[in-house]
Amino acid sequence: MVLENALPPFDVWIGPALLFFGVAVAMLAVLALLAGYLVAAFRYGPLGGGDVVFRTLRTAVFDLFSMSPRRIAALAWLAIQESLRRRVLVGFGVFVLILLFAGWFLDPQSTDPASLYLSFVLTATNFLVLLMALFLSAFSLPADIKNHTIYTIVTKPVRPGEIVLGRIVGFATIGTFLLAIMGVISYFFVVRVVDHTHEVEIASLEPIANDASGAVTGRTTLDANHRHQVTIDADGVGSTDTVQGHWHEVDAVKDGDETTYVIGPPRDLYTARVPAYPTSLRFKDRTGRGSDRGISVGYEWSYRSFIEGATLASATWTFHNITPERFPDGLPIELTVRVFRSHKGDIEQGILGSLVLKNPTTGRTSGITTFRAKDNQIDERFIKRKLTDPEGNPIDLFDDLVSDGQLEIELQCLDESQYFGVALPDIYIRARDASFSINFLKSYVGIWAQMLLVTSFGVMFSTFLSGAVAMMATAAALVLGFFSQFIHEVAVGIVEGGGPTEALMRTLTQRNQTTELEPSLTKSVIQAVDSVFMFFMEWVTSLLPDFRRFSDVDYLAYGFDIPPNVLGIQVVSAIGYVIALSAIGYFFLRTREVAR
Amino acid sequence: MSDRQRFIRKIVYACIIAALLLPLSWLSEPATTESDGGLLAQMRAEHRLSQSTLGDIDPASETIKLAMLGMRGVAVNVLWTKVNDDRKRENWVGLSATLEQIAKLQPNFISVWVYQGWNLSYNISVEFDDYRDRYYWVIRGIDYLREGTQYNRKEPRLTSDIGWTIAQKIGRADEHRQYRRLFREDDDFHGPRPRSQRDNWLVGREYLLEAERWVDQEGLPIKGKNPVLFHSHPVMCLINYAEALEEEGTFGEVAKSAWNRAAESWEQFSNRDMPTQYSFFVRLGDKELFDERAKESLEELNRLAPPDLLEQMLEERIAALDDEQREAYYLPPEERDSRQNEMMLGINSLLSISHMQFADRVTGENRAAALKAAEEATQAEFMSSTIDLARDNVNYTYWHKRCALEPQDATLEARKKMYDAAQAFTAARLLESRELYEDGLKKWRKVLDANTFLLEDVNLVEELSYSIGDYVELLHQLDEPMPDPFILQDVLVSCERYTGRAYPGAPANYAIPLEDEPATDSAAQPDDEPGSDADETAPPEESSDASETPSPEPVDDNDQGGTKSSGEDDAAPPTDEPADDAPDTSEDPSPAPSESTLEKSAPDAP
Repeated sequence: MVLENALPPFDVWIGPALLFFGVAVAMLAVLALLAGYLVAAFRYGPLGGGDVVFRTLRTAVFDLFSMSPRRIAALAWLAIQESLRRRVLVGFGVFVLILLFAGWFLDPQSTDPASLYLSFVLTATNFLVLLMALFLSAFSLPADIKNHTIYTIVTKPVRPGEIVLGRIVGFATIGTFLLAIMGVISYFFVVRVVDHTHEVEIASLEPIANDASGAVTGRTTLDANHRHQVTIDADGVGSTDTVQGHWHEVDAVKDGDETTYVIGPPRDLYTARVPAYPTSLRFKDRTGRGSDRGISVGYEWSYRSFIEGATLASATWTFHNITPERFPDGLPIELTVRVFRSHKGDIEQGILGSLVLKNPTTGRTSGITTFRAKDNQIDERFIKRKLTDPEGNPIDLFDDLVSDGQLEIELQCLDESQYFGVALPDIYIRARDASFSINFLKSYVGIWAQMLLVTSFGVMFSTFLSGAVAMMATAAALVLGFFSQFIHEVAVGIVEGGGPTEALMRTLTQRNQTTELEPSLTKSVIQAVDSVFMFFMEWVTSLLPDFRRFSDVDYLAYGFDIPPNVLGIQVVSAIGYVIALSAIGYFFLRTREVAR
Repeated sequence: MSDRQRFIRKIVYACIIAALLLPLSWLSEPATTESDGGLLAQMRAEHRLSQSTLGDIDPASETIKLAMLGMRGVAVNVLWTKVNDDRKRENWVGLSATLEQIAKLQPNFISVWVYQGWNLSYNISVEFDDYRDRYYWVIRGIDYLREGTQYNRKEPRLTSDIGWTIAQKIGRADEHRQYRRLFREDDDFHGPRPRSQRDNWLVGREYLLEAERWVDQEGLPIKGKNPVLFHSHPVMCLINYAEALEEEGTFGEVAKSAWNRAAESWEQFSNRDMPTQYSFFVRLGDKELFDERAKESLEELNRLAPPDLLEQMLEERIAALDDEQREAYYLPPEERDSRQNEMMLGINSLLSISHMQFADRVTGENRAAALKAAEEATQAEFMSSTIDLARDNVNYTYWHKRCALEPQDATLEARKKMYDAAQAFTAARLLESRELYEDGLKKWRKVLDANTFLLEDVNLVEELSYSIGDYVELLHQLDEPMPDPFILQDVLVSCERYTGRAYPGAPANYAIPLEDEPATDSAAQPDDEPGSDADETAPPEESSDASETPSPEPVDDNDQGGTKSSGEDDAAPPTDEPADDAPDTSEDPSPAPSESTLEKSAPDAP
């Protein structure tokens, strides 16, 4: 699985995140205070303005400590009732409709249908729930204010903060409810759609060459757009090969003279591997000199870097916390390498590679293990405890090669002028397999967090904007959040072509992104304007949530357990935004006459 | 306004509406099984615009188009960007799914099917290291094109591309041996087709013939494809099939029959009417006929004209040159400076005398006959040159000769001996292998002596050089030197000319022993002697073929097989690749026949 921007461990993340949160809140607070004072001073004079600001702050502190969970719950219940009145369940109907016709739009020949269907249902759920949250949250408060129904609430002893928080909680609750139903339906939909079996084509069965045991091989029927090769031993027990990410068990059932073969349900179709990833990856170049990266073979995507075959070039991963208690029998490792051939070589054979285990402290190594690279596929290998060193002497994995829980695995390519490409997450120890169902459930946490964020933005904007404008503003926050990485890259100059003004100028003058602009006054002016834009863009994107980081689709689709730190970061981030947006919403609502 | 006025107005409106319904009905009455429908329906049918006439109606496609609410263009752009991104990030599942969505959104946009089918078969396939994975994606591309034909029935471009990919990608890739084997074993692709008929060249030909049939019988446009190339694909499949049989060790009657079939098909191709840019048709096989006609007319013209007329006209034209031009003209070519060389282009043009100009100077009773002969010669030469242009697209002469040569027993035996020798060498039966090689080399000598044009075939020369390389290796293992002079020395000379090495594995400083064999000389001479008369040494077309590398067949430019280089990714989708360098008769208008194009070349500097 590709992990381009892997999230750090929760304990590493939380400190800097809290610090950033504190700094951002403090800066926003100072700016808000300044702006508030200027407005108040304009209306009531310098002293009067200060007094207003002070009173506002004092009231805010009082409101904060006077908030009643009971009143928030009551307001949340009102929001839920309002949502039901506004036929929020139509979204659920749309979702069912999408699932009913999903088969029309999905690739029937996909090499990994489970991954495709999982991605599809999660993405569909995600967008539907976000849309629903957007409409509910953005239109609710403005509609109440417009219809004066807000007076039925504000005339009660409730505080503005409770109104804001109550709506967020109410809409989030209804969203959670819908999400739960969609999750259950999605789960059964995917499991049912991808479930299949085959039959053995009896005519295809033939004895395996050079095998005296009586085993036979053949193939299955074509079902669900694929077929398998089967191997059945003399006892009638067998299995298929792995196609489209799964395999089947095969059993022979004898009925008199007749033998029929029964193929079981797909196995390993839904997995939730719990990987123990290495902590670092180092490279050596062809002369054996160390470097942070291998060489580039010219791919635009630089996720992996490459090592040259039949040279001293190597890639070495370092693992931590490798103990006999965790892995008493040995290490079940899974390796993915990308092969790049600079010449055709032997087409029938994969490129030869080697793995060597190394003690990072003593430098002692295991004997070399050679293998034929399975390009772009997960190669499952098992490293036993009992190994031999290069001289053939027996050694123990943990006693001789692991030092303070650390172990190094070195990869080399052995074929001349051929290359292996690897990245840090391309090797891991498959510590265990978690429950797929629970993993499926966990994948909804990210969607839930996104729904919470959109709801909070919608309610916050609706405290001072009309419904349509609040919806547009929330949608803008959502779009900016989804493209925040790109906007950030434009802002800091990683993306070529300059800022918005320069891009506009290039579009109008039909110059591509990489053409150098001639030095001129126009260029200076454009770049000066862009620097302001880019500062603003960077500032905005650093404050907005990166919505893509809340997606756990890839983990689930590629069969990996969603790590707790990812869920923790997503939930804590979302709560942080809810707090900040509720506070902003509170102050804006205080500026409205109805809430005073 | 009174109630009465209102009532009258309503009646008037109703009448106008009723009156408008009549032309509306005439215009837009839908077509049914019994009626052609209104004018719009008829126009849709005539221009093949309605969905039902284009191909199958897919509810999913229609639904998704409607669901876009007019934002289809935006959605398509986003999806195309996603395809590029998925490809960059090697997300093949996502890429494949996105292609399906694009197809649903643009089911009748032929370029989408063509481009993405090619993308899958040629670009995505080579991203994988295992040839079985590669084969899967090649077939995926073919299936994508086949899916396109469901939405776009009778679309020659799509059907032709299916045939092209099956034939060329599977048959020409670096992994073609593996691909061809997998293709034969692919029950899911072929269905009930018997294994004996599962050769990729023959299956590809079926699609190419189907596309050809639609063009011939229904007059459907080829759109963007060179007609000569388009019609050459089926016959080239037969030639490639015969070659593939021999490469895989099938000789004897089977190979002979395959070559005979190819030769027969080539004959039919020669006699097919081909469109030209001059709004008339030509047949590739008619060139010799026009050459003969031109020759006869010229002989007649020369007979009718005074004997020294040409020299006289030439002298007059030389006299009309200015001093500077005359100086340049009389200088030997090697002594001219660059300006004078440039000037010679204009001078040659001034000195050239067309048949009509020549005949126009004939006086007396012969004048009318001379003008008639000149006109006939001009017309015949024009037809011949037009056919020549068309022939160049497919390297007609070379393949014509190959088709005649390959079914011959001598050629088949020569090829079989070399194949058997290689097999024996692989099996380490060295002495047997040497005997077979020597026998095979002798047989090739005979074939080459009888067909010197083969020395200009880079493919054949290279193929032979590989065998010679193996032979040298065999001799090395037997501790024997290479014979000097070597029996196929001319092949080594040709190979070095084309590839820089006499044979694979030859030492860089390997000196090819010189040998005075007539065959060698005759093969090398046409290029070396610019002043020689081609008619005396070889047919005129042979000399033109000799000047170019005979790689006449659509070459699999995009396919670099096992090697993934940055260049292969961005190759263009298959159009008519082989013809890219050749003049396209449909798009490259040449001047209409005129006197100035038909010249009696002035002699070069004395």
